[in-house]
Amino acid sequence: MFKILKVRGHSLQPDVRPGDFVVVACTPLLRRSLRPGDLVVFQRKPYGVMIKRVHRVDNDQGELFVLGTDEDSLDSRSFGALRYRDLIGKVIWHVRGGV
Amino acid sequence: MFHSILEKMDRVFHFDEASAHCDIPCGIYDPHLAQLAALTVIRMVDLMTELDQAPKVENLTYHNSMARYIAVKEEHAELCKREIRVIWGDYIKAEHLEKYPELHGLVHKIMQLGSKARQSSDRETALELLAAVNQFAEIFWATKGIATKRVKAPYKPGEEVVYPAL
Repeated sequence: MFKILKVRGHSLQPDVRPGDFVVVACTPLLRRSLRPGDLVVFQRKPYGVMIKRVHRVDNDQGELFVLGTDEDSLDSRSFGALRYRDLIGKVIWHVRGGV
Repeated sequence: MFHSILEKMDRVFHFDEASAHCDIPCGIYDPHLAQLAALTVIRMVDLMTELDQAPKVENLTYHNSMARYIAVKEEHAELCKREIRVIWGDYIKAEHLEKYPELHGLVHKIMQLGSKARQSSDRETALELLAAVNQFAEIFWATKGIATKRVKAPYKPGEEVVYPAL
């Protein structure tokens, strides 16, 4: 239902920094409530578990377009939209304190 | 406080990691997204106009549809600006500016038109935005020594877009 994850990487700086923690709600029902600006955690091959910010939601197609804040972020601009099935969950609590 | 508690817990439980993956500067730049965004702005203006001129629909439905069109227009005008800014800031180098001294002015024009497209529902402004982005795309591909062609987008609004002639 809930997961605690530690963030690594710089693509969401300055909002989310490496070493921050996030609490992720993994309820499938939350998928329908996602909005631009939400932080989501998802699985993306070959990169593994990733965290990005929702840029656009297409409920009809079951797709999300996610972006980082850093110009060099690896996100939907390079790997395209996410399917809902790739989602692990939505960040409901972001604990800052990373570097 | 919470962070230090979680740090201590992490040492014991070893939480999984989520990667905010940042790319190595990869050299992959393409104005295509900006062009698609500019086309979307035109399309949204068309849909807004159609809705406004259609026989009166129920008030709530009207406002719902109009709000959605406006939101997408806002989002894509901003996306267009962002994509151009990234190419301009990260890819365009001094030698490109020497060869195409109009680039700074053109990028500034795109920023202004993008903002104007957000502020208004004027189709001419949206068309000007696409024209400026197409001009930027032609220069971008020229810096790579790649010829371009102009083709009509095979979907509404069916305006001309610059593609690399590969």
